[in-house]
Amino acid sequence: MEDIDNIEEDEFGFSRNYFLAKELGGSSKRSARKLSDINLVDEQELRETAFNIETKHEKEISELMNEYKTMYPKWVFELRCGFGLLMYGFGSKKGLLEDFASSSLTEYSVVVINGYLPSVNLKQVLLAIAELLSEQLKSRRRSSVSLAKGQEAFPSRSVDDILSFLHGSQSEDKDCFICVVVHNIDGPALRDPESQQTLAQLASCSHIRIIASIDHVNAPLLWDKKMVHKQFNWLWHHVPTFAPYKVEGVFFPLVLAQGSTAQTAKTAAIVLQSLTPNAQNVFKILADYQLSHTDEDGMPTEDLYSASRERFFVSSQVTLNSHLTEFKDHELVKTKRNSDGQECLNIPLSSDALRQLLLDLSQ
Amino acid sequence: MAPSTTVADPQPSSTTDSFNSNAAAENDIRPFYVLQKASSGSKPTATVKAKRRIESPSPKLAKKSEIESVEEEDGQFFSTLRLKVFETVWSKIENTIQDVLRDSNSKVFSGVHNWICESFESIRSSGALSLSEAVRSYPVLSQPSSKQLFTALVLTRNLEMVDDLSTFEDLGLHLKSQGCHVAKLSSMDFSAKNGVGGCLRGLLRQFVMPTIDVADVTILASWYRENGNQKNRVVIIVDDTERCSGSVLSDLILILSEWAVKVPIFLIMGVSTAHDAPRKILSANALQRLCASRFTLSSPAERMDAVLEAVFLKPCSGFTVSHKVALFMRSYFLCQDGTLTSFVKTLKIACLQHFSLEPLSIMLEHFCQDNQLPGEGTGLLTEATMKHAFDLPSVTRYPSEFTICYYFIRGHMLEELLVRNKITRSTCEMLPQFLLDLQRMPNPWSIVVLCIYEAGKFDKLRLLDIFCETLDPEARYLKYFAPSAILNSQSHVSGRNSVIRRVLRKLRDLSPAQLSSLLKGWESLTAEFSEINEKVMELHPFMRNVEAAGQRPGLPTSPKKHASRSHSKLEKELKAMTDKISAVIEFMLREYMKPVETVPFNEILCFKNVDKLQSALLGDPRGRIQSDLLESHSILNCLCCSQRGTTLLPSVHDTSILYALAQEHADVINLHDWYQSFKTILIPRNSKAKSKSKTTSKSKKRKERCEEPEPPAEASVQARFCRAVMELQIAGLIRMPSKRRPDFVQRVAFSS
Repeated sequence: MEDIDNIEEDEFGFSRNYFLAKELGGSSKRSARKLSDINLVDEQELRETAFNIETKHEKEISELMNEYKTMYPKWVFELRCGFGLLMYGFGSKKGLLEDFASSSLTEYSVVVINGYLPSVNLKQVLLAIAELLSEQLKSRRRSSVSLAKGQEAFPSRSVDDILSFLHGSQSEDKDCFICVVVHNIDGPALRDPESQQTLAQLASCSHIRIIASIDHVNAPLLWDKKMVHKQFNWLWHHVPTFAPYKVEGVFFPLVLAQGSTAQTAKTAAIVLQSLTPNAQNVFKILADYQLSHTDEDGMPTEDLYSASRERFFVSSQVTLNSHLTEFKDHELVKTKRNSDGQECLNIPLSSDALRQLLLDLSQ
Repeated sequence: MAPSTTVADPQPSSTTDSFNSNAAAENDIRPFYVLQKASSGSKPTATVKAKRRIESPSPKLAKKSEIESVEEEDGQFFSTLRLKVFETVWSKIENTIQDVLRDSNSKVFSGVHNWICESFESIRSSGALSLSEAVRSYPVLSQPSSKQLFTALVLTRNLEMVDDLSTFEDLGLHLKSQGCHVAKLSSMDFSAKNGVGGCLRGLLRQFVMPTIDVADVTILASWYRENGNQKNRVVIIVDDTERCSGSVLSDLILILSEWAVKVPIFLIMGVSTAHDAPRKILSANALQRLCASRFTLSSPAERMDAVLEAVFLKPCSGFTVSHKVALFMRSYFLCQDGTLTSFVKTLKIACLQHFSLEPLSIMLEHFCQDNQLPGEGTGLLTEATMKHAFDLPSVTRYPSEFTICYYFIRGHMLEELLVRNKITRSTCEMLPQFLLDLQRMPNPWSIVVLCIYEAGKFDKLRLLDIFCETLDPEARYLKYFAPSAILNSQSHVSGRNSVIRRVLRKLRDLSPAQLSSLLKGWESLTAEFSEINEKVMELHPFMRNVEAAGQRPGLPTSPKKHASRSHSKLEKELKAMTDKISAVIEFMLREYMKPVETVPFNEILCFKNVDKLQSALLGDPRGRIQSDLLESHSILNCLCCSQRGTTLLPSVHDTSILYALAQEHADVINLHDWYQSFKTILIPRNSKAKSKSKTTSKSKKRKERCEEPEPPAEASVQARFCRAVMELQIAGLIRMPSKRRPDFVQRVAFSS
């Protein structure tokens, strides 16, 4: 009964706060001051400074980490009992999870998925895990060679087949599993329902244990009951670290940077590196054009198509369009119409940044 | 193995960053990578850890739970043993639950099978087809009824699908074991995206060949005819009908019904809302083709009671939970989730936590295996564990060494056992014996609970409620037997919902037939426990009197006067009977209502830590992340920030400052104002003048002197502001400025 009261009270408090906030917004006039009133420093300087901000309370944070270290044996025990670990709380948990994996899970293979990146190909992840497992099984029983024969051709298999291999009972040893560490399982690349379904199916495999972190307050909305109770089988751990979100934050714009929605050369490079070589080459053609025609609105789409086709980077308009969609999704390219009414493609980066980007790509 | 950066040893300056190995930095931007491969050799971690702890017993570690203290001594041995015992205990519980569920479904399952057999016979009697006839592209149409598709609607009475997944899996297995061909489709196969082809392909893959990639129903027909499959029935199970795309399901039904004569298919559809659910999702055309029969599964509450009885009240694993934990599990089941699956998961977490918190829990192993003395040869009963056993609160809270043994008296000199600080060899040997007795003893408490449940069934009482109430170690049930209590029952607020009271009140309304069935129930429940059984047997003469009195008015020729007299006689006998029954209940409660928490050494069996269970089961990111930010100093335990009460100090974590400031704003925050107030916190007014002269302030020493920090430069403040905003965005607490409102961010979460 107490619980119910508490829940009701919490909900009441929540709605009260919400309406208070709404009321506040209505009654007192909103401040009309603009961001531009602040004497903003140069974006480049801002980024450099932001990169080098020293962490407050380093001593306390490392003490907090040491305290969590004492829980490692318990976490291993929970993993071995068949649960998945879900870490939440404020602060980057990347370091904590990797430290846990490399110091306490030495008996197991560990695969790390960086969910905070804008694109993660889960099929490739599954392939890597399946290969790792078959290798592990092979070494466990070297005598039986026949088993391995059928499993050579993983890349040709479908996701379902790989999952059923991971779920199979090739080994009676319950303690033979691969740990999958997922940083930010609520990250942008994994937020769609299909990815979560795949991850849930992966988590329910008998040879897999998942250790994941979430940062978003609404992350639990990603899962339904089947996923929570039957597949992920989460055990929650509240582990605030207060460590800075250094890597996780790279893909977020700085609020005070002018044109804060613009991509930086660095994030663009990371996105491009995850694309196919052909897509990269198409992007290079566009970038070269933009650098040599700085006064134009951008490169007409037809010109890009003919240029790419000449060099065998695309075979049809459809392939080009799929590359362009990818670029647009990551805001690498914008379209607008020039004075002739042609559709033009434009990379929203300064010439300097673009040169730097091309340099990074060619390395 | 790739080296990784840990937050425990952060690299603050850029020089160390570049020093930081490239591999780690590269790994950060790779979508995934293999951190390490399994080493099949030694297990160095545990021993290293144990050593480290022994060398530096810091005060922080001292407060840790017992798991570590045991780990220190025996490290790996205990954790391996514990895992083994956990697996034994949990598999016992899990198997018990599965058996219970199978039993509760078995009636429906065999009903479905019979229905399939009967319908199949009726199809066959209308004539079988030759192969050439069957694979012709136009189906034979002999009579209109041949287009009917036999369908079973299985009502799950459960709004949440998760419980029924395993039920339908079991049903599939059951039918397979009876020789049917079974394919299972879920709502995922009936997506509008893949259309009817998708589910046909799924069917063919399950029936014909797993690699098939065409959706052609003729393949199904020829498969059915060729391989002598026609002796067997073909069954398709759709477990969550309501979530399927209606048009796709309708299409499938139309196709299958066209082929119904050639390939007699039986469709089993799980519906959770009502039997007429298909009417809402299927087209009229498809509905006409269905020849439906109805089946109903037991409700989640019924299954829940059956599971509870098997796991906690009948001999199972020995593991049990305390009153508070049971209350939590009940409210979680009733208020939040309502699925058996989550209840089972809660139980598993409780079991796991029990094993990781209580070193002596490993003794539970011997509750699962009969006739084996615990501790023999395992090296389990060391001096340390014995000492731990005698330091358990349930043992130490008894002031006198003698009272404690009362419950277990089986001819042992148990007093000796409890003379604290005097653990002799003989006591070491006695503890196992002691536990063995606990295991063998028919548990009178559970018999009493089941008897109350039996009586409560007439009032539709749930075992879950009875179980929770009877676990309460501080309940005083006997007050309900005082005559005044029953009379003034309305005014008693505290005991209004008490199950015991409800049972006592209901007794007076029971008919003779109900009383007789109650008596039979009690007799079988108490059969193994003679003390209670004797009392139950004493009820029989009263019952006979009631029956005798009840038979008389049944005579058709009896005059009215006589009838009323015999009626009053019946009432009198009934009253005597119910009084006697309530006296038996009183006796049972007085003598045997000893919940597990009142028994010494109960910590070995009983899980009590409800907070740990709750936090592991129900993460609360919404609340906790906000409270992390608002109370960062109490989590970080730093002296500098917590000194001055509620005022924000510049030494507080940047994001915490910013979020605390956000609380003062409405649902949208003006970035300019927010920034200015952030700056005022970081650069207190008195030091502002100074700061203007300084252009560079990479103050390295600031953290040592939190009290008087050097004011940071404008660029630094802006950078810190940006990063704090970004971190709030990562946490999902604010939404970034939109094009329409470029100078405002929006608050998304409102704390309580």
